[in-house]
Amino acid sequence: MNRTKFIAYRLLGALIVLFIVAAACFAIFYLMPSNPAQYSCGKPCSPDRLAEVERYLGVDQAWWKQLFDFLGGIVVGRDFGSGAAAIHCDAPCFGYSFRLRDSVTTLILSRLPVTISLTLGAAVLWAIGGIVSGLIAALKRGTATDSVVMGAAITGISAPTYLLGLLGILLFGFTLNVLPIGGYVPLTENPAMWAFHLILPWIVLAIANGAIYARLTRGQMLEVMSQDYIRTARAKGLSEPIVIGKHGLRNLVLPLTTLFAIDIGGLLGGAVITEKVFGLGGVGTLLLEAVSNLDIQVIVGVTLFAAAIVIIANLLADLSYSVLDPRIGARR
Amino acid sequence: MPAVSQGPAERAPAERTRRDSVWTRLRRSRAAMTGLVLVVVFILLALLAPVFSALTGNSPFAYNPDLLGPDTAPAGPLGGISAQHWFGVEPRTGRDLFAIVSYGAQVSLLIGLAATVVSIVVGVIVGLVAGFYGGFADRLLSRLTDVIFGFPFLIFAIALSATVPASVPRTLLLILVIGFFGWPSIARVVRSETLSLKERGFVRAAAAQGTGSVRIIVREIFPNILATIIVFTTVSIPGKIGAEAALSFLGVGVNPPTPSWGRSISDAISWVQVDPMYLIFPGMALFLVTLGFNMFGDGLRDALDPAEARSESAAAADPMSAGGQP
Amino acid sequence: MRRSALIAATLSLGLILTGCNANPELNNDGDKSTNTLGETHKGGTLNIFSEDSDIDFDPGKSQGLAITSLAYVHRRLTTWDIKPGEEGKVVPDLATDTGQISDDGKTWTFTLKNGLKYEDGSAITSADIKYGIERSFSTELSGGLSYHKTLLKGGADYKGPFKGDELKSVETPDDKTIVFHLNSAFGDFPWIASMPAFSPVPKDKDDPGKYGLDPVSSGPYQVKSNKSGSEAVLTRNKYWDEKTDPVRTAGPDEVVFKLGQDASVTAQALISDSGDAKNGFSASFVPASQLAQVQNDPSAKSRLVTSGPGALSYLAMNNEHKGLDDTKVRQAINYAVNKDTYRIAGGGEITGDYASTLITPGIPGHQDFNLYKADPSGDVDKAKSLLKESGAKLGTLKLLVKNDATSVAQAEAIQEALARIDVKVTIKSVDTNTFSADATDAKGDYDLALSSWQPDFPSANGNIQPLFDSSQIGNGNYNISRYSNDEVDALIKKATETVKPEEAQKIWAEADKRIMEDAPVVPLTYNKNSFLHGSNVENFIIGDFPAYPVYFKASLKG
Repeated sequence: MNRTKFIAYRLLGALIVLFIVAAACFAIFYLMPSNPAQYSCGKPCSPDRLAEVERYLGVDQAWWKQLFDFLGGIVVGRDFGSGAAAIHCDAPCFGYSFRLRDSVTTLILSRLPVTISLTLGAAVLWAIGGIVSGLIAALKRGTATDSVVMGAAITGISAPTYLLGLLGILLFGFTLNVLPIGGYVPLTENPAMWAFHLILPWIVLAIANGAIYARLTRGQMLEVMSQDYIRTARAKGLSEPIVIGKHGLRNLVLPLTTLFAIDIGGLLGGAVITEKVFGLGGVGTLLLEAVSNLDIQVIVGVTLFAAAIVIIANLLADLSYSVLDPRIGARR
Repeated sequence: MPAVSQGPAERAPAERTRRDSVWTRLRRSRAAMTGLVLVVVFILLALLAPVFSALTGNSPFAYNPDLLGPDTAPAGPLGGISAQHWFGVEPRTGRDLFAIVSYGAQVSLLIGLAATVVSIVVGVIVGLVAGFYGGFADRLLSRLTDVIFGFPFLIFAIALSATVPASVPRTLLLILVIGFFGWPSIARVVRSETLSLKERGFVRAAAAQGTGSVRIIVREIFPNILATIIVFTTVSIPGKIGAEAALSFLGVGVNPPTPSWGRSISDAISWVQVDPMYLIFPGMALFLVTLGFNMFGDGLRDALDPAEARSESAAAADPMSAGGQP
Repeated sequence: MRRSALIAATLSLGLILTGCNANPELNNDGDKSTNTLGETHKGGTLNIFSEDSDIDFDPGKSQGLAITSLAYVHRRLTTWDIKPGEEGKVVPDLATDTGQISDDGKTWTFTLKNGLKYEDGSAITSADIKYGIERSFSTELSGGLSYHKTLLKGGADYKGPFKGDELKSVETPDDKTIVFHLNSAFGDFPWIASMPAFSPVPKDKDDPGKYGLDPVSSGPYQVKSNKSGSEAVLTRNKYWDEKTDPVRTAGPDEVVFKLGQDASVTAQALISDSGDAKNGFSASFVPASQLAQVQNDPSAKSRLVTSGPGALSYLAMNNEHKGLDDTKVRQAINYAVNKDTYRIAGGGEITGDYASTLITPGIPGHQDFNLYKADPSGDVDKAKSLLKESGAKLGTLKLLVKNDATSVAQAEAIQEALARIDVKVTIKSVDTNTFSADATDAKGDYDLALSSWQPDFPSANGNIQPLFDSSQIGNGNYNISRYSNDEVDALIKKATETVKPEEAQKIWAEADKRIMEDAPVVPLTYNKNSFLHGSNVENFIIGDFPAYPVYFKASLKG
């Protein structure tokens, strides 16, 4: 299969996947016993007003009807409400939050900088930290250094993110009082404060991921180093750094790129727990709040966004596979 | 018709000798043995929770307001540790913390193990079918795998726990939810192993002899991916235990008063300045059992196949693999 | 072998440790000195830490109290004058008085003060108040306090001004006068006129989709920025005139709402008095766990302000369900509940007094009585015999509760108490919003529910009518015990229509006793809320009602 066809085929598959995700969202929330209209009916409420609010929110419709209205909005746009208070949402309309009074697209875009800052900063940390310590462990295999690094890695993997985060806040935020306890300062406003506020979340998020990268790097390196051609290279008298740099690292690129793409993709859809623990108003928090407020349009919109990013990340990972390793293209 | 034997080079080593050598190699790894000990200790703790409870007369449900100070923190130092209450008592209720941690081990291990079984069973079946039959089945199942990968697991688990009626046992629901979202990674690994095994001589030979496809899968392919499955099972247990704790941490885990480490941790974190022991015991329990499974899993992988790196990369891509959640 | 060694090790450790029992001594005579009003210094930036990730300043959609967030930006016809240790008073805000009655309490007339201006310098007129009320009827802006929607004539069928209709029962004969025609007499109308919907909204500046982000201010502050998930910043409104405002002091130059903050982390920051917390306070109560910490920390303790007994915490029993429809069963549960363990689970003595009535202390007309006298830990024998007498067969009862740690611990206390009379309880814990939806929908799929109620205005009416009038069952309303008694409905109607406060209060007290005879709920505690503020915050006060700080009086030390 050639590459264009491969991409086209995967994109079509992605659309089907997104459709199923949207359908599942509406179905699940429709089955939910709670009625979102009740929170926005007022106090006290009356049956007439409740029915009106249900109609306004569109939750009086069957779930498949809501689904198709939603899909229609993506294609041709939608109107919510009527008269002077009507709100128009241009195509492609990925939903509108009655609670936050904004289109889901705008909401995601406004929260995305937080999530991107958190994810990319942590990714830099964990990629560098993980790969370097993995390399060191591999090169010093069997030594005390190896044991310490791998011991630290397995400890990092075993500690729950939220526990690390909360203990970090307690230690550095309160007991030592050297780091802020949370909150977000936009990069454009003050780069130094931006980084200062994100140090702790970055480290916490990087620990578990970095540990995985360290283990993967070490494992791959050891496997590569035991291959015949490396032995041959060494026998030819090439210096150790060149052997490692030229042959060892090259073989690391492929699995690490794949993993990196998938991890970043997963986190851009919202690092729910880290955002919650550090009070960062990112995409994950937006989604958590939408769930607890039964803000169905936001739930569907954000879930679709997260799913789309994961799918794109997977696609990129597969593509990088076929670019970096031509053998794969044939097998697919 | 008995299956015709293939050349020894194509066969996996005889099961018995293999098992012996695996055990020998495992025994030599200090980390793996430490992990095994930790796992066994926690399994015993879970199994013997009722015995301990009967021995000390402490139930995880009984309130002891008399053991609390006026600020509702445990009276006495170290969270009220005493001969009667080995781990002290819980603030606000005075319930025995040892009983809560040991019954919590039951919940954690039950959900962690059972969810892993669900994931592995579904994942192996999907992977085998997709890898072996290829074509439309493969395309369909691979897209399905993508769907599950694409779902934000936590959000759906939260939504589901709000949707499902209270009459459905929470434990069962959690097992199914965590298990269901955990299968794609094993399915991918099994699929790719099956793909490569399919091209191997002994499988082709069996097919050429007219052996039925189900029989080939069961007799020829499955035994050869068993090692991978076993390793995968072990390394994915801690992730499932972590997922249960994370859901309980977010308030959508098992229903109270059933003890849960995640719920205790989320409650204890705000008590940490007044009563650090309340956090230390359930926190350490969760950390140690996760660590134990991880260390044992590592050792097992090395012992079964020292050069097995692929399952690691796949496990790493599993959204639930890293003990906690992002 | 390994196991028994472990046990032995733990045991010996335990034995050593029990030797020294250093029980931290607590003194409960909390330092009340901070709950006082003094001189207001001007200047500085006040931080308010909020768990909500958004703040909507639209008066139509708000359920806020007259003394919290929205009061910085919106003035209403009337407002609340709250002072520590005094019953709250309703006082004129935009209006010159708290309303002139005519037509036996069915018609209320208000006149606006002179020289009132918005943030853009334009004049505030009575038509703007009428428009503000009208728009609150529209579905687009539903969700706010809606008492006026049933009181005003024609309100039941009015759908808001966005399709060109107007509400005829609100008249504005001139720019200064506004007249309200009610369906029936309503003595507490001055309190209703202090609700958010009675704020002026200039019609030509209204965009219902966006107004709540940056409304046209009539109060001492205007919105400078409002970022979802981050913060909202208020700055001074130069057109606000202190002389026309009897309650707002406008101390700080800026007020910043820090949004989406975890209550526990905020409390920790306030306890350590670090960074932004020094100049701030938390909009949430101090969680029980941190309350224990504060009581052991003299610095934090001096910055803790605890309200008097306020909101009523109660266990609602679903009166429509089989078994619980029997008065004897409900009385048995009243005896069986252990208010002691319940209160400990919530944080102990500092979090409330034991309750026995429905009208709460601090509300005019509150009378103390207890129809089910027992120890706080309950009277198990009496409960058992009442249950036996009833002959009712109770299945497993489903207890609906919010999923925060405190509520769950409280639910477990109830569960344990009812187990003493062999009544089995399963706990269904759900997030706050799901809780209110499940508790107030038509189905009522629960047997018991743990809830608390703070009236929206300090009148016994606010204690009784929303919780026990049969019209308030389901549809998002709060009669969650689903109690229906014609006799009680009649008493409520009579008390509501009584215009003279003293006479009305007597009828309300009668209704309180009559309802408790039927025992539709178990009153548990009158809650005391504790709030922390930073060391640089002054005039942080809580009155007898409501059990919340008065935001607009808080200022920063010079």
